Amino acid sequence: MKSHSPWSTARNPVKFRIPTADNLVPIRLDIEIEGQKFRDAFIWNPSDPDSEVVVFAKRTVKDLKLPPAFVTQIAQSIQTQLTEFRSYEGQDMYTGEKVVPIKLDLRVNSTLIKDHFLWDLNNFESNPEEFAKTFCKDMGIEDPEVGPAIAIAIREQLYEIAVQNVTSARESRINKKGRRGLEHSQTSKNSGNAADLFKLFGSKSSVVRKRKEWDVYEPMIDLLSNEEVDALKAKEERNAR
Amino acid sequence: MERITRELELYTIPSYSSWFSWINIHEVERFSLREFFDGSSITRTPRIYKEYRDFIITKYREDPSRKLSFTEVRKSLVGDISVLHKVFTFLVKWGLINFNVSGSDDGGNSGEGGSGTTSFEGKEEGEGEWKGRVKVEEGAPHGVRVVAAPNSMKPLVPPPPPPSVGGDGGGVVGEVGESGFKWPPLASYSDVYGELMLQEETNKGGVVCGNCKENCDSKQYEYTKEESFILCEKCFESGNYEKEKSADDFKLKDTLNQAVDWTEAETLLLLESILKQHGDDWDLVSKNVQTKSKLECISKLMQLPFGDLMLGAGLRNGGLLDIIGDGKQAAVPSNESLESAKAEEPSSEVQNKDQQNGDAKCEGPPRKRVCTGPTSDAGNYMMKQVTRISTMLDPHITASAADAAVTSLCYENQCSRELFDDNDGNYFDSIASPEASNPERYPSNSLSDIASSDKVLNIKVRLNLLLLIRDADGDADNAVGDKSPNPSEIVGISSVKNIIPLNLKTRAATATSLGVAAANAKMLADKEEKEIGNLVAIMIETQLKKLQDKVKHFEDLELIMESENAQLEEAEQSLIMERLDVLQRAFDAGIPRSKVA
Repeated sequence: MKSHSPWSTARNPVKFRIPTADNLVPIRLDIEIEGQKFRDAFIWNPSDPDSEVVVFAKRTVKDLKLPPAFVTQIAQSIQTQLTEFRSYEGQDMYTGEKVVPIKLDLRVNSTLIKDHFLWDLNNFESNPEEFAKTFCKDMGIEDPEVGPAIAIAIREQLYEIAVQNVTSARESRINKKGRRGLEHSQTSKNSGNAADLFKLFGSKSSVVRKRKEWDVYEPMIDLLSNEEVDALKAKEERNAR
Repeated sequence: MERITRELELYTIPSYSSWFSWINIHEVERFSLREFFDGSSITRTPRIYKEYRDFIITKYREDPSRKLSFTEVRKSLVGDISVLHKVFTFLVKWGLINFNVSGSDDGGNSGEGGSGTTSFEGKEEGEGEWKGRVKVEEGAPHGVRVVAAPNSMKPLVPPPPPPSVGGDGGGVVGEVGESGFKWPPLASYSDVYGELMLQEETNKGGVVCGNCKENCDSKQYEYTKEESFILCEKCFESGNYEKEKSADDFKLKDTLNQAVDWTEAETLLLLESILKQHGDDWDLVSKNVQTKSKLECISKLMQLPFGDLMLGAGLRNGGLLDIIGDGKQAAVPSNESLESAKAEEPSSEVQNKDQQNGDAKCEGPPRKRVCTGPTSDAGNYMMKQVTRISTMLDPHITASAADAAVTSLCYENQCSRELFDDNDGNYFDSIASPEASNPERYPSNSLSDIASSDKVLNIKVRLNLLLLIRDADGDADNAVGDKSPNPSEIVGISSVKNIIPLNLKTRAATATSLGVAAANAKMLADKEEKEIGNLVAIMIETQLKKLQDKVKHFEDLELIMESENAQLEEAEQSLIMERLDVLQRAFDAGIPRSKVA
């Protein structure tokens, strides 16, 4: 089946994973019990034994002095997300020649971060944590929560793209019979947000951006005052509902 | 435009990055950033890498005192953020960017960027050791000059290779080394003289024992399987050496052989006694020399460049002269052949020689200088070579070469020229004999003949070398009417004249010979050139002649053609005439016919 890959550009399909150096799953928790909210985001190694999940949950609850009811909720949430991740494992993923733009737009405590850059899905050496660390150093961000938040945001986006990738590959495999023409449209649809590599890296164009484009790809950092944070929080709440 | 002018400025990069070149991609880059060179993607090609690299470096050099951050760079570059980061880290690691600022990070540089713009972690590890600084001129990336950074208190040390980059950085430093790839040699100072110095030290202090590292004074034992390993007597007798070496492998070596210093006076005495008095009766010789043993005397004579030859020659008169005046210097007659009228003006030369000897006496002994040469084999040999070379040329050239040599030597050694001039004003005379060009200094006899002055010079120079032996030889050359000072006088004089260090003399001689050789080469070249010119002229002439011959040939042909043409015209004329004639006749015959008709 593999040899009949609809993606002619992908020579070596890989098994599903997060396209980074470490195959770590971004986990996001948003739990509310009796008016008490617990929100967190972290990364989890999917090859860890599942027994760790409960241990982790217990530990977190204890450390944060949360009501014991959170333990099961947290464990369940993590478990669900891990199971979802594992459901993709083992499937073929065609990442060849795909560079996607990653956009960051997040608020961590009082820091507002906006950024825009390209990420190569074929680069299994990439390291979002390292990137985030450099980013914080370069931008002079002192809040220790910002770095991990950026890394997780990147991982989430990559995760999403990988999932899309796998499902579209599966679909195109199903649709393969007698519908060769579909391949390209399928590809283009899937990689609709991917960069046009030939345009960017072709021999005619320089990889140095034009000056007017620099602003687009320049990271923006805003330090918000407490009032602004509150206002923004309220806005986010509203959007969430 | 701005960029071009900037590139002409000097930038400081570490010496281990001297491979860097704007034009090329070095193997270090190929190794560390392999993904750009394996053709795996159109997003990573050597061209793109070069664009990344050049942009980042140029960006940094817009203001080298400021630390360039990755975030600043990436907004201007299209490409995978991770790959960009890798390139950036690579450049930082090799000091191609952010090198200047690294040392003074805590200074004012980071002020504008806040604490966040301090350096990357990996880089700081090695920072303390990076004392070696190299300036590379952009125009010539290979011409690396090592300069001590003004603020580095430590002596210049070769910087360690940059620490390998962790994570996704260019962490291939180790692998690269293992895979047999050779790092470019450190561009900075390497201790080429260390060994020499060590050697010198050992020479100075005698031979150093391989075991106790102390000087071996009288006796030493050489390990026959490895020449450089030497034991001193003490260590040998106490069995104080490595076990795998057996006592049988050691060979007693008498250090006296080589370590003994011979003063000039001693050498003179030795030669004198050998030549004049005792021949090869070494017991007597050593008695005469007094300060040295029989063994020492023999080995010293062997070490002299002509030693073994002399022994072989059976100490005949003139044998020595033949030896020293050997080879192609046939033009220079030996003392004996002088008499046999081989040279053009033998008598005058002989006289001249007398003259010089006399001259030597009254002028202070210029030649005795060179006579002291035999104290050092090298020096003596050198002198011989110099003499030989100097005979090939005009004395003026030799003189000026010697002069130049001494001048530069004096300059180099910061010693006064007077050392040479005053001490024995005629030092050069001994080599180059400028007097030859100043015949008026001589009482007008044979030397007025410039043509013979060359020969005179040759002889004179040779004499300087031979003098000692000749002196020692005493009555042997009596035909010349030798008025040379007796040996004791020589000894006295030479010890006085010994003020110039021997190596200085040797160097002067070397330089002189070089100069002379150069002059000689120039002369030869000139000659060759002239010859070439001649040949070319001949060739051209021949060609011209050939052409002229051709022209002549053509002219002949033309003449033939012309005559043929004339003949043809003539024939034509006659033909026409004939035709006219025929027609005329026809008309004549026809008209009446037509009239009839």
